[in-house]
Amino acid sequence: MGASAFTQRAHDALADPNLKTAIDRTTGTAETKRAAAVGAFPEFQAARARGAAIKDHVIANLDHYLVEFERNAQAAGAHVHWARDKAEAAEIVTRICKDADAKLVTRAKSMLGEEIGLPHALDDAGIERVETDLAEHIIQLAHERPSHIIWPAMHRTREDVATLFFKDHHPPPDADDPASMVASARRILREKFMSADVGISGANFLIADTGATCTVTNEGNAELSTTPPRVHIVTAGIEKLVPSTDHAMALLRLLVRSATGGEVTQYTTFHSGPKRPGDADGPEEMHIVLVDNGRSRMVGDEFRQMLRCIRCGACMNHCVVYRQIGGHAYGGTYPGPMGAVLTPVLDGLAQSRDLPHACTMNGRCEEVCPVQIPLKTLLKAWRVRSWDSQQEVGPLRMGLGLWGFAARRPRLYHFGTRLALPVMRLFGKGGWIRRMPFAGGWTDTRDLPKPAARSFMSQHANHGNEGPK
Amino acid sequence: MTKPRVGLFVTCLVDAMRPQIGWATLRLLERAGCNVEVPRAQTCCGQPAGNSGDKRGAEKLARQVIEAFEGYDYLVGPSGSCVGQIRSYPTLFSDQGWRSRAEGLSRKSFEILGFLNDVMGWKPEGVRLDATATYHDSCSGLRELGVQEQPRALLEGVEGLQMRPLDGANVCCGFGGTFCVKYPEISTAIVSEKAANIVDTGADLLLAGDLGCLMNMAGRLHREGAATRCFHTAEVLAGMADGPAIGEEG
Amino acid sequence: MSARDDILAAVQKGLTQGQGGAVQRRNPDAIRAEAAQLLANLDEIRPDLAAGDPVDAFVAKCANPALGVTLDRVANWQALPRAVIAYLDQHDLPHRLSVSGDPRLDALTGIEAHQPCAPDEAAAISVADWGVAETGSVVIHSAPDQPILNAMLPRHWLVVVEEKKILPFLDDYATYAASRPRNAVLITGSSGTTDIEGFFVRGAHGPGFVHVLLVAG
Ligand code: SF4
Repeated sequence: MGASAFTQRAHDALADPNLKTAIDRTTGTAETKRAAAVGAFPEFQAARARGAAIKDHVIANLDHYLVEFERNAQAAGAHVHWARDKAEAAEIVTRICKDADAKLVTRAKSMLGEEIGLPHALDDAGIERVETDLAEHIIQLAHERPSHIIWPAMHRTREDVATLFFKDHHPPPDADDPASMVASARRILREKFMSADVGISGANFLIADTGATCTVTNEGNAELSTTPPRVHIVTAGIEKLVPSTDHAMALLRLLVRSATGGEVTQYTTFHSGPKRPGDADGPEEMHIVLVDNGRSRMVGDEFRQMLRCIRCGACMNHCVVYRQIGGHAYGGTYPGPMGAVLTPVLDGLAQSRDLPHACTMNGRCEEVCPVQIPLKTLLKAWRVRSWDSQQEVGPLRMGLGLWGFAARRPRLYHFGTRLALPVMRLFGKGGWIRRMPFAGGWTDTRDLPKPAARSFMSQHANHGNEGPK
Repeated sequence: MTKPRVGLFVTCLVDAMRPQIGWATLRLLERAGCNVEVPRAQTCCGQPAGNSGDKRGAEKLARQVIEAFEGYDYLVGPSGSCVGQIRSYPTLFSDQGWRSRAEGLSRKSFEILGFLNDVMGWKPEGVRLDATATYHDSCSGLRELGVQEQPRALLEGVEGLQMRPLDGANVCCGFGGTFCVKYPEISTAIVSEKAANIVDTGADLLLAGDLGCLMNMAGRLHREGAATRCFHTAEVLAGMADGPAIGEEG
Repeated sequence: MSARDDILAAVQKGLTQGQGGAVQRRNPDAIRAEAAQLLANLDEIRPDLAAGDPVDAFVAKCANPALGVTLDRVANWQALPRAVIAYLDQHDLPHRLSVSGDPRLDALTGIEAHQPCAPDEAAAISVADWGVAETGSVVIHSAPDQPILNAMLPRHWLVVVEEKKILPFLDDYATYAASRPRNAVLITGSSGTTDIEGFFVRGAHGPGFVHVLLVAG
C-alpha cells in the first residue's frame, strides 16, 4: 500500500513537534472552556435537540426560506446573487469588486470564502486583499490556509507569529508577547479598514423574515470591514437560513458555547441592506451571494443532516485524530470530523477517500456537536460509498472477503482458528509478539499479545461451561 | 423467578486472543443467576466489514448472529463495540422481516458489565484483589451503550482494590478496529498519549471493557517498557486477575 | 436556467425525490406554524437570568471579569456628565469625546465633544438602544445619530443604557430586530481575540475598554 497524499501529510504533521504544542494549547483551552460553559447551562441538552430541530425544519423547507429571504433582503435594498458552485461564486464577488472599481478589499473571516477560493480569486484579479481577522492576517502573512474553522492560525505558536510580524509589520511590534502583537496588528489593519473600497464578510445566519445576515465575531473586525467601505458583500452558504431572529438566538446560544465557551461573542452583528438616508455611516451598496456548491445535492442524499452544521468547531477540538495531525493534513477547507464528511462532498470522494476512514469511530464528536449531527453515521455512509464504488484497496477487500467467507461458516472458522493460533504463537517470545509478517501496522510500534494456545470455542467444546482445569 | 437464558457472545478477539475473558464472563453470568449457553454457530459480529463500508458483508454476518441468538432471553458479550454493532443491526436491513428480527435481538443484547449491574442487579461478593488500578472507558461501550458508572460501581465492590482516576479516561485510545493498522502512525501517536496518562496514574493495573482497546494500550505500554498490567474488567470481577495479565506467559 | 432557478429546482428535487426520503411539502402557513412551534417553551432551552430582576441580572453579568466591562450606575441624565468625567479622570484621559450625535448627549457639560470618531480616537460615547440581561450585552442600531464606528474605533467606549431599556433575554431583543436598521450590533464586553495560542488579548480591533453607564431615571 503506497502512502496516500493524506498519510504523507499526516506523517509530516506528526513529525512537527511545534504543531502538536500549538494544537494542544488551543484545543485544550477550548475543550475546558466549552465544558465549563455547557456545565453552566443545564438546558444545554434540550437546547441541542431544539437546535437540531430548527435546522431540520429549515432544510425541509429550504426553497421556501430562500425565496422569503431573497424577497426581504431585496426589500431592504440589498442585491441578492445566486451561485451554483465555487467558481461562479468567486466570479460574482470579483465582478462586484471590479464594478465598484475596487483597489483595496477588506475581508472578515469566512470559511465559505475559503471554500469558494475567494482569496485566490481576488489576488488573481489584481485586487489588494486584506484579511482583518487576526488569525486570517497571520495566515495571509504566512501564505497558508486555515487549519481550524474557529482559530485558523491555531497551528502557529506565538513564536511563529512573532517571526511573521517582525518581518512584515512596519513598524514591528514592541515585543513578542501576544498583547504587543495584537496591538501591532490593530495598528497596521486600522489604516486598511478606513481606506478599503469593498468589505467582504460571511454569515453565520441568514434571517428569512427580515432579510438580514448575521455574523458573530470577537474582535470587531466584521463591523470595521463592513461599515467604512462603499460596498459590502456577504457570501453565505444556502444552509445558513433560519426562519427568524428568534431562531438565530436559539442557535447562537449553542454556537458560541460550543465554539469558544462564551455565552455570546463580543459582537453579534445583523446587516440589512445599505446605508439608510441620513445614516451616520455605512456602505452605499450591499450584495449577498447565496452559494450552493454541493449543498442542494446534500439535501437529497444521505448527508442531509450535515446541513445542520453551524461551524462551531467543537467536533475537531474533541477529535483524537485532529488533535494529532491538525487541520492542514485533511487537505480541504474544512478539517476534523465535519471536514471529513464535507470534503468528499466538495472535492469528490476520489480526492479524499482517506478522510472518512481516518477515524476511530469513537463518537466524541457527535457527543459534543451542538446540533446533534450523527457524524459517525455520516462517515460510515462515505465508507459504504467508497466500498461500493470499488475505491477500497485490493488487499483490504481480499482480506475482508476471506475473513467474511470463513466467518460465515462457523465450523470452518473454528477449525481455522485452531490451526492459525499455534502458527501465530510461533512468532511470540514470552507472552508477546514483537514482529510478525503482514502485521507491521501493529508491530512496528506496539507489541502484540501472543494469542491463546486454544480458542475459547475449542476449550468450551471440550469442557463445557465447567471450563478447562 | 426462572433463571434467564443467556447466549454468550464470546467475540472473535476474545475467542482467539484471550479466552480467559470469555470464561470470566461466563462465570459472572452464572454467579448472577443466569443459565448460560455458548451457541456454536457464532464467529464475529461483522464489525470489520461494517466499519470498512462493506454493508452486504456486515449484513450476512448479522443474519448469522440473529439466527444463533434470537432464541435466548439475552445476548451478552464482553465487548461494548461488538454489542454496539449488534445493536445497530436494524440499520443494515431494508427487508422488513429481517429488520424486525434485528430489532428484537438489538433490544436484548448487552455488554457484560452493564448487564450485571443494570439488568441483574448483581454485586461482587468476597472478591479480593490487593492492587491499585485505573480504568479506561472504551468508546463504544461508553457512548453507544452508556457504560460508564456500572463498571466503576462494580469495581467498588472488589475488596482491596484502589481505583486511581485516569486523565482523559473517556478519550479514545486510538484502536478503532482496522484504523490502527490502516493509519498506524496516527494510531500510535494517540495511544502513546494514552499510555503516558496511564503511567502517570502510577496504578499497577489498567482495566477496560474491550479487548481491542486493551491490546492496543497493553501493546504500547509494553513496547515502551511500562510495567502496567492490563486486564479486562470482567476478569477482575470474576476473581481471575491473580493469573497472567494480557501479554504475560501463562 | 438562471443559477437561482437551478438551485431552487435542485433543492426541491432533493426534498421530493432524494434518498433521504421525500419531505412533505407544505403551504407557507403550515411552515410558519411549525417554525413558531420550535420556539415554544423558551425557558427549557435558555439559561436562567443571573438575578430575578432584569436590571440586577444585567449588572451581575457586567461584573463578570470575562466580559471586560466596567459599569457605573447613574441616577439620571443630569448626573451623567459627572460620571463621564469621573471615568475619563480615572483613566487619565482628556475631557474630550467623540459623541454619537444622540441629542441626549448634547448636555455633556465640561466635555469637549466632536464628530465623527477618528480612527485613533481615545474615547467615544454612544447611547445604546437596548441592553440584554441574559448576556450583559448592549445593542445599537445604526441611525443618523448612531454611527456604528463610534462604538468600534475608540480605545475606550462609553455607552449609556437606560434601565428601562434592559430586556431580559436575547429573545426579547429579537422582536426589535424586525425594525431592520442597516446594522444592529449586540456588543458584549470589550473586543478581544484568542487567535494566538488561545491566549485572550483585549482590544483586538474594537475598543479595549467598554464602560457602561446605567441610567436609572
Ligand atoms: S459538525 Fe457539529 S460540532 Fe462540528 S462544526 Fe458542525 S456543528 Fe460544530
